[in-house]
Amino acid sequence: MFQNRAEGLALALPAALFAALVFLVPVVLLLSEGFRNADQWTLSAYVDFFSQPLNRTVFLRTLKLSALVTLVAAVIGYAAAYAIVSLPPGAKGRMVGLVVLPLMISPVARTYAWIVILGRTGIINQALQAIGLTDEPIRILFSETAIFIGLLQLFLPLMIISLISALENLPRDVVPAARVLGAGWLSVFWKIILPLTKEGLVIGGTLVFTGSMTAYITPAILGGSKVLMLETLLYQQVTVSNNFVAASVIAFILIVMSFAANILLKRIASARRSGK
Amino acid sequence: MKKTLLTTASVLMLASGVAQAEDKTLTISVYAFAQDEFKTIVYEPFEKKCGCKLVVETGNSVERLAKMEEHKASPVVDMAVVSMADALAASRKGLIDKVDTAKLSSFNKLYDIAKDPNGDGMSVGYTFYATSIVYRTDKMKIDSWGDLLKDDIVSHVAFPNVTTNQGPPALYMLGQALGTDAPDLKTPIEALGAKKDKVVTFYVKSSQLVQLMQQEEIWAAPVGRFSWAPFTKLGLPLAWATPKEGQTGGMNVMVVTKNSKNRDLALEFMDFWLSTEVQTKLAEKLIDSPANAEVKVSDEVANNITFGADTAKSLKLIPSDVALDYRDKWLSEWNSKVGQ
Repeated sequence: MFQNRAEGLALALPAALFAALVFLVPVVLLLSEGFRNADQWTLSAYVDFFSQPLNRTVFLRTLKLSALVTLVAAVIGYAAAYAIVSLPPGAKGRMVGLVVLPLMISPVARTYAWIVILGRTGIINQALQAIGLTDEPIRILFSETAIFIGLLQLFLPLMIISLISALENLPRDVVPAARVLGAGWLSVFWKIILPLTKEGLVIGGTLVFTGSMTAYITPAILGGSKVLMLETLLYQQVTVSNNFVAASVIAFILIVMSFAANILLKRIASARRSGK
Repeated sequence: MKKTLLTTASVLMLASGVAQAEDKTLTISVYAFAQDEFKTIVYEPFEKKCGCKLVVETGNSVERLAKMEEHKASPVVDMAVVSMADALAASRKGLIDKVDTAKLSSFNKLYDIAKDPNGDGMSVGYTFYATSIVYRTDKMKIDSWGDLLKDDIVSHVAFPNVTTNQGPPALYMLGQALGTDAPDLKTPIEALGAKKDKVVTFYVKSSQLVQLMQQEEIWAAPVGRFSWAPFTKLGLPLAWATPKEGQTGGMNVMVVTKNSKNRDLALEFMDFWLSTEVQTKLAEKLIDSPANAEVKVSDEVANNITFGADTAKSLKLIPSDVALDYRDKWLSEWNSKVGQ
């Protein structure tokens, strides 16, 4: 496209410099803080971090909730995406619009709405009492359940959209063909749909997992300081304790976990392919 | 990293400051609270009076103290308002100077507890607040801080997190109800830890409590008196408890930065803020309870703030040295018993 390579590089240089200056340099500086102790490089900040029971609990809780949200989002996402791609074009467009709609509303507003819905006098508790499942309002707010619900609602659209685009690339006849040949729905999903849409699952899964792990507003509002996640712990370390080293350790853990999730999902996808 | 961020922030701040500078510029560091009202009642009238320019920096006290420490050699901020304990922390780090009270014409009008809160001459109190329990009178009766842990009450309580300003004082009073005066707060933290699953939440921002009270998510919470006014507008049967162990609270103070080039102007500003006129206006807007004993307000206003000599005298405040020396211990005790 360019007459010489230098011309292309010169055009890319301003954007590359900008990205390096405002993104890479600060990130490297922040992360290096966790590996430095006075004049030497050390892992002591990481050892300290994981030696505290609270930090281990928060780490495992973050991992567990993010994995659970990703799993449930995948299950619901496949069902919703399959239903949407089966619709005629007009209806499909409208449904995709509905899926995308929540993404246009601020996460703060969406999360505050959950406080009203999940509260003791909220509609969920009113419904549970009306149908006689419970005599007294049950506590949902400020629990892992509340964070799970909030995160799932927040990130489910990303999974559905990723799966819709993957399912649209699925050859139209393979599912009916498998059904005609006697395969059950579970078999069709496991042996045909899943292998052929794994790229969408990897993208959606990475987005949902990373988003759940790094979300701040939802865990802060729906979990409070009673149910800490890594992000809310990071905020506490900076604003309360002024502990930038611990904040750097948490930031590094979050980045590593995001990459690990992506690699793991890709592995799972490729393992199924090589196993066939 | 902290250094880099702070340097960048200060360069930006300096750049904007230089662009707007007039002959005399005073840089103050304050809480980011009610700044619109402060601008009308304090900042603009003072700028008119002194013919100078005020540069206002806001933020939480940890950030602001960190910034002051970073610029210790060549201070950017001339005066700051912080909590009593943070003033002592700044004093220990050599960030602030003795306040020349001879230059404060309003000094003698202050309540005694505000004149030299830390006893080191390094700060002057400008507002104080009581901390007690706001509760639903139709659901319970609170006569003691210990009532918060009763089985039928605890599951409707929001307790302040230990990291908030209200946390340690509330724990201290809970300790008194449990029969201990120990500054390590071990007993009340353990008692709260034993019932942590029942407590609705350990709040970090008191602004959240109004919504929780409105939704009937909570029926009781220890709060600072400055948070009381919004509760009265909910139309719910709410009362301010007067527990038998008494009320606790806190005080915010003014400090002058060491090596400030505008020390006299800073003192002039402090004097203006402490004046009867300004303190009255701030009280009438329910922003700050006055530390100036000459301030007179209507009963309605007095009921919504922490007001009067008797109240000032009766507050059981945690001494700043205790707050500072035990802060890390409280946090680790809290994290091991309550935080998980």
